[in-house]
Amino acid sequence: MTQLQPKPAKFDWLTLMLYYVFVVAGLLCIYASVYKETNPMIYDNSMNYGKQLVWIGISFFVGLMILLIDEKFFYAFAYGLYGIGIVMLLSVFALGTEIKGSSSWIRVGGIQFQPAEIAKFATALALSKYLSGYNIQFKERKTQMICAAMILLPMVIILFQNETGSALVFVAFALVLYREGLPGWLLLVGIALGVLSVLALLVKPLYIIIGLVVLAGAFLLMVRRTMLLIYLTVGIIAFASAYVSSVDYVFENVLQAHQKSRINVLLGKEVDMKGAGYNVQQSKIAIGSGGLLGKGFLEGTQNKFRFVPEQSTDFIFCTIGEEYGFAGSLLFIALYMLLLWRLLFMAERQRYKFNRIYGYSVVSILFFHFTINVGMTLGLMPVIGIPLPYFSYGGSALLSFTVLLFIFIRLDANRMNELTSGAD
Amino acid sequence: MAINTNIRKVILIRTYSAFGGMLVFACFIIWYLIKIDFIERKKWLNMADSLSTKVFDVAPVRGNIFDCNGNLLATSMPIYDIIIDAVAAKDEEFETGIDSLSMGLSNIFKDKSKDSYKKLITNLRQRKERYHVLHKKASFKQMRRVQQLPILRLGKYKGGLIVENKNRREKPFDYLAERTIGFTQENVAKVGIEGAYDKYLAGTSGKKAMQRIAGGTWISLNEDDEIEAQHGNDIITSIDINLQDVATHSLMNVLKLNDAEWGTAILMEVQTGEIKAIANLSRVSEGEYKERFNYAVGECLEPGSTFKLASVMSLLDDGVIDNNDLFDTEDGSHQYCPNATIHESEGKGSGLINIQTAFEKSSNVAISKAVFNNYRGKPELFYNHLEKLHLTKKLGLQIQGEGVPLIKHPSDRAWSCTTLPWSSIGYEVLVTPLHIATLYNSVANNGKMVKPLFVKKIVNNGNTVKEYNTEVLVEKVCNNETLTYLRKMLEGVVIRGTGSKLRSPYYTAAGKTGTALVADRKHGYKKKIYRSSFCAYFPAENPKYTCFVMVNAPSKGVFYGAAVAGPVFKDLADKVYANSIQLHKELKFTHNHFSNDLPSIQVANTEDIKQVLDKVSISSHMHNDSINEFETDWMQAEMQDNSLAIQPVKTLKSIMPNLQGMKAKDAVYMLEKSGAKVLVEGFGKVKKQSVKAGERINRGITIKLQLS
Repeated sequence: MTQLQPKPAKFDWLTLMLYYVFVVAGLLCIYASVYKETNPMIYDNSMNYGKQLVWIGISFFVGLMILLIDEKFFYAFAYGLYGIGIVMLLSVFALGTEIKGSSSWIRVGGIQFQPAEIAKFATALALSKYLSGYNIQFKERKTQMICAAMILLPMVIILFQNETGSALVFVAFALVLYREGLPGWLLLVGIALGVLSVLALLVKPLYIIIGLVVLAGAFLLMVRRTMLLIYLTVGIIAFASAYVSSVDYVFENVLQAHQKSRINVLLGKEVDMKGAGYNVQQSKIAIGSGGLLGKGFLEGTQNKFRFVPEQSTDFIFCTIGEEYGFAGSLLFIALYMLLLWRLLFMAERQRYKFNRIYGYSVVSILFFHFTINVGMTLGLMPVIGIPLPYFSYGGSALLSFTVLLFIFIRLDANRMNELTSGAD
Repeated sequence: MAINTNIRKVILIRTYSAFGGMLVFACFIIWYLIKIDFIERKKWLNMADSLSTKVFDVAPVRGNIFDCNGNLLATSMPIYDIIIDAVAAKDEEFETGIDSLSMGLSNIFKDKSKDSYKKLITNLRQRKERYHVLHKKASFKQMRRVQQLPILRLGKYKGGLIVENKNRREKPFDYLAERTIGFTQENVAKVGIEGAYDKYLAGTSGKKAMQRIAGGTWISLNEDDEIEAQHGNDIITSIDINLQDVATHSLMNVLKLNDAEWGTAILMEVQTGEIKAIANLSRVSEGEYKERFNYAVGECLEPGSTFKLASVMSLLDDGVIDNNDLFDTEDGSHQYCPNATIHESEGKGSGLINIQTAFEKSSNVAISKAVFNNYRGKPELFYNHLEKLHLTKKLGLQIQGEGVPLIKHPSDRAWSCTTLPWSSIGYEVLVTPLHIATLYNSVANNGKMVKPLFVKKIVNNGNTVKEYNTEVLVEKVCNNETLTYLRKMLEGVVIRGTGSKLRSPYYTAAGKTGTALVADRKHGYKKKIYRSSFCAYFPAENPKYTCFVMVNAPSKGVFYGAAVAGPVFKDLADKVYANSIQLHKELKFTHNHFSNDLPSIQVANTEDIKQVLDKVSISSHMHNDSINEFETDWMQAEMQDNSLAIQPVKTLKSIMPNLQGMKAKDAVYMLEKSGAKVLVEGFGKVKKQSVKAGERINRGITIKLQLS
């Protein structure tokens, strides 16, 4: 038998195109959001968009490199990359510089980057490799614990660096685990805890506990009571009560003032026109002033006068809303959903578990960023300051999102070979 | 196989539910977009206008008004409106702080009790009032104290304290020349110098585009958009606040003494026409007078006898009479027209008198006769004279609201048989007090009539923007001969005429009294309301100042010009004399000092002694057993061989010194420096001290000094 020649890589052009569209559109938005009539040059190293242009060049180059690398590299080096990611995260404590109250940055030469960005795709790779290993059954407690540890380790380190937003991104892996067989009740418990947390912040814990007891009583009256059910219910109520009380305690004593204020604003408990609420309000004004068709490129006044703080980074979406209006926003959302759908589709067509799990990780991470980021510009989500992938200003973020996506494109490009090799 | 499909199914469901969840989220986002873009669009657009940018006016600082010596007459002080946002504070803060806050507010403003403040603020909070003015026009000090109070000290957002800064116009000398300094208010005619020079004082407001940023603070949007506020220019007036002080208070006393309706006093510098003092007081209630109207500038009235100067000047200048012409005062009255008789004010005639006597005695009959006889054929000649003396038109002053004089022309329909004789003695003519003052000033100024000057200079940061020089209205009001004669007559009035009570041993004065009957609107002249005036310049031989005083409707039975208006003149002239060394006759020492003439000095300030000895050139030397001269501020001196021997006096702060023979000023200074409180009785030098010399004095001790 002759050895079959490996088929040439088949890249998913739709995904690639969406990526390029996003990056270029993002650059225009950054340009518009820091645009000054006195300084119209698009290539200007001193301005955000100038720097971003350099980073785009680097990202394109790195992306191209990834596409040229043998796909087995990523499988082989998944743990290595994870290790490097963790070490870099830890090195921040020694080398880090503080930017805007977050000490998660490393400065090398004139370049700053956040190791947390690298940790995202490194964790995705490691998790994929672990779960795709032989004899790994997700149902096993041990497997679940190891997965949890892999996700929680970078998360906790990042939390200590005061980057709550980036840490929360790791919650997105829950979606991956769900796809791989995480029991539904666990997710349910997670959601229930989430609801309880919000309630605990809105209402006095005592009232919630009373409400829970009443509900449990009613439940027990309606069903056939067994001793087990009664014990179980009482146990759940006791746990929920303890949890509710502890949420209140953590909120008051552990969270920092600005985080508390942001949560309060989101919950409508506090009208705060100077801190977090101000950003959201200005962002809404910008979007609202865009109307159906928007004001046009560079015509946005909200952004020209820089009313929206952080507009080129976390609040980039409101530039789209102001300059391209509802129609532009809708197109943007549609394209993003198209990308997510396409990635999901690509993940499902993978034969290798490693590839599929990695694909799911990519989708989950992008989805999390997208919902939180766009949601917060609209006042739907708390302002936790994470970038909009491919749009927001920020070199290390763009580069790491590029790496995240391109690894998957590279893995996907090889699916034909997998099929054939699978046939041997 | 079945298990396999089952697993596939589960996985598919999971995949779809994952993407379904994403779609649901996308829908949420789209719904929010629709809400913001279409449903709430107006709200966000409005908010964009109102919240994020504003063009702020930058208020300019209004310029100051100074007197001629640089004393502040009017300046702008910041004042603050204290506003509360009763909702801002948290419940906890509010409940613990409200009591002490109410107490504090009550203590600071003293306008409400603690309880009513508490009630008010609690009420506001219940009604969710976010903007309630607690106190208007608080001073800087009060504002700072409010900022320290509980709740409010948390600031605007957490405590609800809103402070709005405004400027209030302040006159440091209160009602002195108040009307002349004037004021500007919206929707009210502008008054005085403030009004007339508003455009110089006001400055122009700037503009500043501001943007609201996180933290609720406003920051400048763009430095290029800023238009800086141009602060107002300062104005230097001719007023001398020391003389103004005398004018106002002397006039006030006279008005109170005579229970008069109103009065005005003007002091004008002869050569320059500068108004050094101008007081206008009206009775606002029994015994209370305030500056309410600028009579000197704005009130046109029948001046009475002071107007006779114009008549006599006219007669003499035209050469139609001389001092040898005699006029018959008859029985003290003369009938010119049917039912129109001019009476002497004293009611009896003085026989045949010449014009000088007529003027000095202020004879109505003689002067009206002289004018009537000489001008009845050609009354326009008389009118022309008055016109030349600027009595027929406005003076064109620097401040607004000048009264328009009324002098009838022979061609007027109102011209009647009585006009000429009555005009000659100051009736049937209406002029302002300043017209009269200007006329007398021209005689003092060797015939040169100058316009009264209020504003000397407009300056900006010490640079002169505009300067106002003395304006000559008439180069020569009459020929020199007439002038000499008039001055002789005016001096005569003070030496032996109606103004003789005002003679001073220190300086000479020349002037004319006036006692006019005031026509009441209802009762004509029958109600016997008088208007007393006195216009004079001094010193007579080399005039420096012209003074005009008028008191309207004195009601205590005294109404002659010299008696009512005269004292104000005298107070002013005395003050000017006391303050103007150049007016004093030079002191000449006719013999050398002998030792027994030399004063011995008990204890006095070293610098003072040196200055005095220097000034009077008395020789001095240090005492033989003097200690180091520089150790103390105080010295003693006694005579020693035709020279004063000076000896420093050592003082200890905690030991009571011997103050006997010391000047009160020095004694008080010395004691207060040691921390003692001093009560002084009497005038002069220290005679007795309540604590004996040599005893210890503690801080805060009260020491009584009796002066001799």
